[in-house]
Amino acid sequence: MFIEYSEEQNMLRDSAERYLRDNYSFDSRQATVKQASGFDAVQWQAFADLGWLAMTFDEDSGGFGGGALETMILCEQFGKFLVLEPYLESVVMVGGLIEAGAQPAIKEQYLTGLIAGELQGAFAYLEEGSVADPTHVKTIAEPSADGFILNGSKTVVLNGPEADFFIVSVITGANHKDSSQGISLFVVTKDNPGLSLKNYKTYDGRSASELHMTDVAVSNLALVGELDNGFAIAAPIFSRAIVAVCAEAVGAMDALLAATVDYTKQRKQFGQSISGFQVLRHRMVDMFMEIELTRSLLMATAWKLDNNAPDAEQCVAALKAKVGKAGRYVSHNAVQLHGGIGTTDEFSVGHYFKRLATIGVMFGSRDSHLSRYSQLSAQVSS
Amino acid sequence: MTESAFRQEVREFLAESLTPEIARAGELMTSVFADFDATMDWHKRLHRKGWVAPDWPQEYGGTGWTLSERYIFQEECKLANAPALFAMGLQMLGPMLIRYGTEEQNNYYLPRMLSGEDVWCQGYSEPGAGSDLASLITAAVRDGDDYIINGSKIWTSYAQHSNKIFCLVRTSKEGKPQAGISFILVDMDTEGLKVEPIVGLDGTVEQCQVYFDNVRVPAANLVGAENQGWDVAKSLLEFERGGHNFTIDHKKQMAKIDRQASSQYSEDNTLWKDNPIFAAKLSDVAVDALALEFTELRVKGAFEAGGNAGALSSLIKVMGTEIGQRFNELSLEMMAEHAFVKQLDALLPSFEGETIGPDCGLTTMAEYINNRSATIYGGSAEIQRDIIAKRVLHL
Repeated sequence: MFIEYSEEQNMLRDSAERYLRDNYSFDSRQATVKQASGFDAVQWQAFADLGWLAMTFDEDSGGFGGGALETMILCEQFGKFLVLEPYLESVVMVGGLIEAGAQPAIKEQYLTGLIAGELQGAFAYLEEGSVADPTHVKTIAEPSADGFILNGSKTVVLNGPEADFFIVSVITGANHKDSSQGISLFVVTKDNPGLSLKNYKTYDGRSASELHMTDVAVSNLALVGELDNGFAIAAPIFSRAIVAVCAEAVGAMDALLAATVDYTKQRKQFGQSISGFQVLRHRMVDMFMEIELTRSLLMATAWKLDNNAPDAEQCVAALKAKVGKAGRYVSHNAVQLHGGIGTTDEFSVGHYFKRLATIGVMFGSRDSHLSRYSQLSAQVSS
Repeated sequence: MTESAFRQEVREFLAESLTPEIARAGELMTSVFADFDATMDWHKRLHRKGWVAPDWPQEYGGTGWTLSERYIFQEECKLANAPALFAMGLQMLGPMLIRYGTEEQNNYYLPRMLSGEDVWCQGYSEPGAGSDLASLITAAVRDGDDYIINGSKIWTSYAQHSNKIFCLVRTSKEGKPQAGISFILVDMDTEGLKVEPIVGLDGTVEQCQVYFDNVRVPAANLVGAENQGWDVAKSLLEFERGGHNFTIDHKKQMAKIDRQASSQYSEDNTLWKDNPIFAAKLSDVAVDALALEFTELRVKGAFEAGGNAGALSSLIKVMGTEIGQRFNELSLEMMAEHAFVKQLDALLPSFEGETIGPDCGLTTMAEYINNRSATIYGGSAEIQRDIIAKRVLHL
């Protein structure tokens, strides 16, 4: 396997890199972090105008037909420039779910708005007690005359404060332990009576909500995917989301290594640049090797997902596990080699570190993906 | 008194004096510092009891306890969630003044330190002098009976709450860099001294930069002789490295991990404590923590026999901080997305509102973030390894 990028893919990377370099400074990012709003609406509109929000949707949904490789190319640049805007939450996850499973009328209504940058979505799939397991669902939907009545609470709904609508996971049928059976997905709008939010910021500078539903009524049209089997469409979206955050992680690690190399050359102690000390040189070489191994896994995984390779899911598990380890090694050492300055709010290094910390445990920790990798490998070999 | 009777006495004191509010501040610590007001409240309660400076000689206000009793006291306080007292005065400057200070200095400063009237911070590092501390350039120039100080100090913990700062300053450019350094005590309200907070990655202020613009300080505030400051500071660093007991920190961390692992569920719908992979990882760290505990006991034994820790203190600093960081990583893995929630208000002991997510995860991300600095401050992990390479292995 050798990935040769198409001309369009190269252009996408170059234009994203150029746009963000010219228009997305760390200082402006930090100004956004300190605002009440979770992201910069002007930036989001620019992303829409550049065609980024449409990039990965099918042409008959109004998109450009890109896949996991395009998601990877964009998200790697988002990671490099610490982009706060909710591309992962609104486009990769909610957009992906709507395109894959929403009823035609809902799809037309919401997808157009998402692609145009006019609507924001959030996927509410985590619950108190077991955030590590999205199949642990207690929120219920009971049938009513013309739809369903939803009751329950969702926790850490990323992009919740900005969302015009949510996709929530609920129990509709018999749910078995360790299984996603019986779980369905519904679209719920922000102004739906009975829905309330408690909004907050997260340590990595983004925003999230606690979402509570009391007798929230939705029509049958709101169902996304199959009844009792919402994870049939959610599982591939989680895989795409893992590619997105891992690409972001690779971009962030690249930025950290570049900053660390640069800083250690400039920083003088004991009468010399600290980059001259062998222990620090080797540390940076190890960071480099971790990043390149991760990049290889990332590219292969995106390519395999786009080509429906039989071992694609195994690669997804391997990638997320690798990012858990590499992200920690690279970010911890970037902070360590910067010394005190790396622990301040003023300097970008610590913010990359915090983003890598959240990515590391999001969508399952390293251990859970190692287990998954081992299970999938056993299936393939048997 | 037997050790168990002593432990009982400490527990009785804690039961009556460590109020729920003060203990909550200790429980919500996300770094080596607790909430300022709660810490000073606790400091004053300990002072009234005569227990604020167990490590000092009895004639200066110490307790006269054996090393074992001091260890028991520290352990009971920490595990009961008492806030850690500010170390710069009691743990660092106090013992150093007792060794190098004049009678006049000791009579003035030590009682104020014990009572909490003076809160001290440490002016060592500079923007250009961190690991290479001896390259510091903040200068004190003699002018009659005073020195005039110009320059700046950085990573000055809790300078915003302190009224006094002890500094290393350059008084000579002759000879080796270490030879021209003096140790001096400065009032924070002296004209020309300015404190600027540094916001940390968790969004709170613990560190500051302190600027000196023609700050006039009486020459009588020198500790030790002019240009002898490096020797004074070196003895202080010994207090810094030898005085801290990492095992007690680790026990507090393990108690929190136990609460998390017994209440939160992992991916396969089992409690974290019943997840075999997690249990193996926790044991991996716990075994290293146990080995460190016995290492600390070896050092304690050496102290009791009148010896010193030697380069084992560097080993303890490296391993103690790195083990602590590994515990933080385990907590983060368990709390997962719940650790993302930034609720700084809820970390104040006075907070009475509704918190988001489980209480045992409130501090997780801030602890993980803040504890990265543990391998940087007080002699970085790289510097400590160099010390072992040079002094033990003679490389």
